[in-house]
Amino acid sequence: MSGQRIDRQTTRIAGLILLAVLLGGCVNATVDEMTYNEPVAGIGESSVVILGRRHKPDYDTEFDFIECIGDHIHSGDPSIEVINEIAFINQFYPWFEPRTAPLQPQTIDRLLQLPPVAARFDEMKLEYMIWIDGNTENTESTGSMSCGIGPGVAGCFGFGTWGTESEYEATIWDFTDKVEVGRVSAQTSGQNYMPAVVVPIPIIAPVQGTACDSLGDQLLEYLSAFH
Amino acid sequence: MLCFTLLAAGCSTKQVVVEGNFPKPLLDPLPITLGVIYPSAFAEHEFFDEAKGRAESDWLVKTGEAQVEFWDILFDGMFDEVVHIRDWETVQRRAPEIDGVLIPAIGDLQYTIPTHTNVKIYEIWMRYEFRLVDIAAIHQQEDGALSFNPDERLAAWPITAYGKTPTAFLQTDEEAVNLAAVVALRDAGAHFVTSFGATPDVAVWLDGIARREQDAARSSSDQAGDPQPVVDSAEASPTGGEPDSGETL
Repeated sequence: MSGQRIDRQTTRIAGLILLAVLLGGCVNATVDEMTYNEPVAGIGESSVVILGRRHKPDYDTEFDFIECIGDHIHSGDPSIEVINEIAFINQFYPWFEPRTAPLQPQTIDRLLQLPPVAARFDEMKLEYMIWIDGNTENTESTGSMSCGIGPGVAGCFGFGTWGTESEYEATIWDFTDKVEVGRVSAQTSGQNYMPAVVVPIPIIAPVQGTACDSLGDQLLEYLSAFH
Repeated sequence: MLCFTLLAAGCSTKQVVVEGNFPKPLLDPLPITLGVIYPSAFAEHEFFDEAKGRAESDWLVKTGEAQVEFWDILFDGMFDEVVHIRDWETVQRRAPEIDGVLIPAIGDLQYTIPTHTNVKIYEIWMRYEFRLVDIAAIHQQEDGALSFNPDERLAAWPITAYGKTPTAFLQTDEEAVNLAAVVALRDAGAHFVTSFGATPDVAVWLDGIARREQDAARSSSDQAGDPQPVVDSAEASPTGGEPDSGETL
């Protein structure tokens, strides 16, 4: 009797694993774009910096997400020089800290009144400053899993699932004219699964990675002459 | 054994010695020779929070070394010359050049971790008390320690700083608290740089220095070649070198 119950439970878990494998990796993505004054011939020898917003109280835009977008743009068009975010923030300390970072392109003029800041910007030949605001969060989770340990035996049994949502907006500032020249946003969501029959197997939806690719593609299209 | 380990983990003290790489500020240094005294409570600052329940841990956060390292880099970039005042001999020897002495103190430090708040953010908040005094206000006590009379200060102002870091995969509580503390230190520096000249008493002091330098430049151009008398402000002070009942540093 109890053997039959275990068989039925195992079949149910196996069904869920199959379902999870079929659904796993499914990510919904929505991308919006509104850009002006596209550099049709590309940005030449100038450089671009991509910075995350970190002044909101409840979240920080992740450093690794900014790095992912920079890598995506540079790998799509190696002629575009993307300045490393942390190196940039350190070189301009304390003018790009959460407390002091400019929120409007017009306020850059105030920074340029400081001679050492203006000189460093000149050295960098910065053409575009791109601000990314947003983050990735896990949402509702359901399911249950129990794990046990005994002499020579350990394992887990059960099934868990949770959602992940990303929402990012990139604001492009033309550094020469000190104006905003575009906004690109990406919203992605997906469902993650964790079936466990002895060993838990996480099936993670690449929600943040998809947001990075979506936003990176749009920015590459804007900045590159070849896309 | 497992139960014992889990119990022990719940009761242990989590210790963080704050460490970070701090950048030099991008500024034109102010033409000022600044004396700096780091009181021992500042240079050895640590914060201890006792666990409120079995599920929590005690926390010991040592910020002193990082404070000194950070503020040294900031002051070096912000002022023409920085003189670290550690003894009375330095006060007497360098007094004529020093425009003012800055004495930082940490008034308060608070932290939160996700187990306290159920929010996936580690936070550190600090309140500094900065005091600027004339070198003549620094005295030596009988035991050799330096002190100053708080009433003789040129300026006193608070600086608040905030640092946060979100939870991250494979990041320990200690690493996250360290990161939040580094962000808070950087924020303190940004706040200090942007508010220094705007603090009313500091602005008066800066104006006084600028006026003195203009007068000196004018008089030296008027009487080119005449040597100017040097006044040792520490010696000129009526209480210089005398035991004092002021605040011990």
